Amino acid sequence: MPGIQDVSMTLEFPYQRTTGPVIGPFLTGLRDGKILGSRCGDRVLCPPLEYDPDTSAPLDTDLVEVGPGGTVRSWTWVVEPTRKHPFDHPFAFAMILLDGADTPLLHAVDAGASDAVSTGMRVAAQFREERTGAITDVYFVPEGQAKAQDITPGEEPVTISEHLIGLHISEPLYPHRVRFAQGLLDGRILGQRSPASGKVYVPSNGYDNMERTEMTEADDVEVADRGAVSSFTIITPVQYYGQKETEPYIRASILLDGADQPIIGVDVRDIPVDEFRVGMRVQAVWKQPDDRDVAELGNRFGGAWEGVIDRWEPTGEPDMDPRPLQEFAF
Amino acid sequence: MARDVAVVAVSQTPSYRLFNDSEAKLIMRCVNDLLTSTGLERIDIEFTIAGSCDYLSGMPFAFVQNIDGVGAWPPVYESHLEMDAAWALSEAWLRLQLGDIDVALVIGSGKSSPGQPREVFPLQTDPYVMAPLGADPVSLAGIQAQALIDAGKATERDFAEVVARSRRDAMGNPNAQVAKDVKVDDLLQAPYFSTPLRKHDLCPISDGAAAIIVAAGDRARQLTDTPVWIRGIDHRIDSHHPGLRDLTDSPSTHIAADAVGLHDGPIDVAELMVSYSSEEIVLRNALGLDGGTRVNPSGGPLAGHPVMATGLVRVIEVAQRIKAGEASRGVAHASSGPLLQQNLLCVLEGGK
Amino acid sequence: MARPSAVVGIGQTDYRKRLDVTLDGLVRMAAIEALDDAGMTFADIDAIVIGKAPDALEGVMMPELSLADALGAVGKPIHRVHTAGSVGASTAITGATMVESGRYDRVLVVCYEKQSEGNATWALSGGRSGGQGAGGTFAPWIRSYIQRSGAPDHIGWQVAVKDRQNAMKNPHAHLHIENIDIDTVKNSPMLWDPLHFLESCPSSDGAAAVVIGSEDVARNGPNRPAWIIAHAKRTEFSSFPGRDTVKPQAGVDCAEALYKKAGITDPLHQIDCAELYVPFSWYEPMWLEGHLITPETEGWKLTDSGATALDGSFPVNPSGGVLSSNPIGASGLIRCLEAANQVRGTAGDYQVDNARVALGHAYGGAAQYFAMWIVASELSPQFN
Repeated sequence: MPGIQDVSMTLEFPYQRTTGPVIGPFLTGLRDGKILGSRCGDRVLCPPLEYDPDTSAPLDTDLVEVGPGGTVRSWTWVVEPTRKHPFDHPFAFAMILLDGADTPLLHAVDAGASDAVSTGMRVAAQFREERTGAITDVYFVPEGQAKAQDITPGEEPVTISEHLIGLHISEPLYPHRVRFAQGLLDGRILGQRSPASGKVYVPSNGYDNMERTEMTEADDVEVADRGAVSSFTIITPVQYYGQKETEPYIRASILLDGADQPIIGVDVRDIPVDEFRVGMRVQAVWKQPDDRDVAELGNRFGGAWEGVIDRWEPTGEPDMDPRPLQEFAF
Repeated sequence: MARDVAVVAVSQTPSYRLFNDSEAKLIMRCVNDLLTSTGLERIDIEFTIAGSCDYLSGMPFAFVQNIDGVGAWPPVYESHLEMDAAWALSEAWLRLQLGDIDVALVIGSGKSSPGQPREVFPLQTDPYVMAPLGADPVSLAGIQAQALIDAGKATERDFAEVVARSRRDAMGNPNAQVAKDVKVDDLLQAPYFSTPLRKHDLCPISDGAAAIIVAAGDRARQLTDTPVWIRGIDHRIDSHHPGLRDLTDSPSTHIAADAVGLHDGPIDVAELMVSYSSEEIVLRNALGLDGGTRVNPSGGPLAGHPVMATGLVRVIEVAQRIKAGEASRGVAHASSGPLLQQNLLCVLEGGK
Repeated sequence: MARPSAVVGIGQTDYRKRLDVTLDGLVRMAAIEALDDAGMTFADIDAIVIGKAPDALEGVMMPELSLADALGAVGKPIHRVHTAGSVGASTAITGATMVESGRYDRVLVVCYEKQSEGNATWALSGGRSGGQGAGGTFAPWIRSYIQRSGAPDHIGWQVAVKDRQNAMKNPHAHLHIENIDIDTVKNSPMLWDPLHFLESCPSSDGAAAVVIGSEDVARNGPNRPAWIIAHAKRTEFSSFPGRDTVKPQAGVDCAEALYKKAGITDPLHQIDCAELYVPFSWYEPMWLEGHLITPETEGWKLTDSGATALDGSFPVNPSGGVLSSNPIGASGLIRCLEAANQVRGTAGDYQVDNARVALGHAYGGAAQYFAMWIVASELSPQFN
């Protein structure tokens, strides 16, 4: 039986950025081994902008080539690179004034050691073997170390730039969630009774929001694993990044006996859709203890019922009056 | 003629390296504390505004759960900014100018502990030419610090002195996370993390919340014997593109300083949102602070940085010194964005 | 004391997928159009306020930072609002407050979303599989409404058709569905029972902007102002024992505060048209009732009677509404600016005859955030 673990997830999505009339050609240039800047009055801006930073007027979209050499205007040596940095070994971030440009570009210099970098040093662009039309297609090295490159331009202009953003989140399960999780592993549903109002919250957030009262372990109470359907919908899954569902299913709210708030977002897969109704009495059928898993339980999301409960079955009891249940739709 | 608005009550949680419970609970503690200290009921608060950040929580719409701590039953007149709560204070000040309501609650909260701030914050930067490089605020601060050194405006010893003073002052702050008596020479022996900055030049990763009640005119005088008046609040932004800026200066801070009348009188105390020690140099210069002003007597963000509350905590720290009679006029500063891109100033004064 | 404020300029992009512009380019299109309408340039603006839904929709954190230059904000105050789906209307209200405070004379309000860069259902699901999406949250409450009010099934279909027909007259609308009728809607796939595909809002890109000015600015502008005569906001918890999710108390309180401020005692007759935030068809009758425009169980009857059509006695969503365009973060501002278009007489083919007083509305979260304003063709309209 998997134990109770920290919450750990990656919030990840491959964003598709439209590159527009200036950034598009700039990124196309990088893919093709050229660095481009935009004309703004008698200055050349690199990276280029769509508009004049002083007057906000649109700028000429006809870009001019700058570099590949340049001068470091300021810099920092990154001792411990993050997973998002262009190099997995120490490197310099620098403001690089490219030859022919009037504004410096922030970029990375692969210089080996911090003492190889200084303000005023000369650097030169190197293009990566694999280029996708992104700012990371290029990097810089001390000018003397630049190698000649033979770069074959791509065909289509870059109009979309894909940017995978993945953020790692990890934190302990909060104390009240740990006790709730342990209850689920033991086949019990734990809620908390508000010392202020007497209302029973399940799963509890560790407080009673109505009374703004924190709750402690002393407020834990067990509620029944049966109750009445208070609302539901039948979901036809929309396909999106990370979605694994394909078939329609019921998502129900169930007011458990002894609770004052329904449990929500409960998957119901074994009761026919046309028999399912508000007021129907249902009961949890637990998984075998060894099969119960609370790994999906986070600090925010519902109860991870699917990890511990095999299915919900009609009890056969008479329905509850659906009208008062309307207050327990969520 | 602007309506007088005062800070009447303040509350903050300690700055925690990890608070093992929800942000809503941190907020709830501050709100309950304020209601107790003022004797107000929740329903007496006529406008509520909070600042927090979804991305820190790693969860779109994270702020919605925070409402549980804010208190919203019966329903409340409320708003939310994805900005440091110092900006929420500026909106509350504007809202109180309308004259139809007198009491507002301002809340800031943040938990940086679940994420990796150096990986999250690059998402603040230009999404085409900076974010894909993982351009993190520590590296950018390093570039700024080097520019200060190259311009002859600071030395590494200056940075270390900011850190030593902040950590020493933090020993008197029960909410501080990092407090220690350290010698400048010892700090200068530490290895670099992002040259010319060392790890101690960086703010800690913190969880925490803060809240204040502000009230207008006579209502403020009714609620406290020691109102601290907001004499000016203003915020300005600089260009986002580092290549278009003189990184050793903060033009937006100059503009805000003029707008709040900073130089109309002496400043006894300044609480500045210094996330990296080098930023204190930039801000001191931009604000024209001299030896007559005590800077970050709380230890400042280098001693505890509950992101999204940090700016509001600066207001709280200045207000508390004025309430305690240790200062009569002070300035609180908040900042947002890489390289001190956006800056807010709030001038506070005691008196009836 | 509060001084008057007015919408003096309006700008909108088209709300189809915008694969031709960057985020900078998108917000500038709307902002520049609003400035032109107001007879201004960026240099005339005192402060900027931007609003949008979660940053994760585009993967840009605190986008006011990277958009500051594009919006001419350098050296100025820029403020960012986020109140879930209601954010567009909340942002408009913040803009109005900034002017009413006496501190600023000309405020540029810009809201946007570029859903094509990310995926809203993914973001709404917290980046996890099995997310029920907004429709999955609202469908049970819609079922409760139907059960409570006794409304017939066709009401939802009728709203879906009416709003899409209105959208045919709005060149900015994302959806232009030729020959849509009740059968097309009810034969479209069921997504979240009882909601069909065509009863749901699209995923749109787009930006919207308004310039809000002081009385002086409004009286001296090149075009007619829309006077902002009242605004209100209310919030409640997403979940608590005994919550009425069909008619949330915050929505009732918000409407009461709004009408009181405006001097409105009979909204159905004293308001000429409304732009309500209706992302799922059934929310038209639900908000008619939930915001006290009709008594309970009467909202669907008003819809059924045809009164909410463009030529009816109380047109709702003449622009085509959220059902026809949903750049999430901008959708609330679009409701507010379309209300302004009506009272300025600038609504083009979807202009409601003699519209003098109009309601703009948005809601968000789990139907828990409400933001509304009333605009009028006169600063002090008389109500009988």
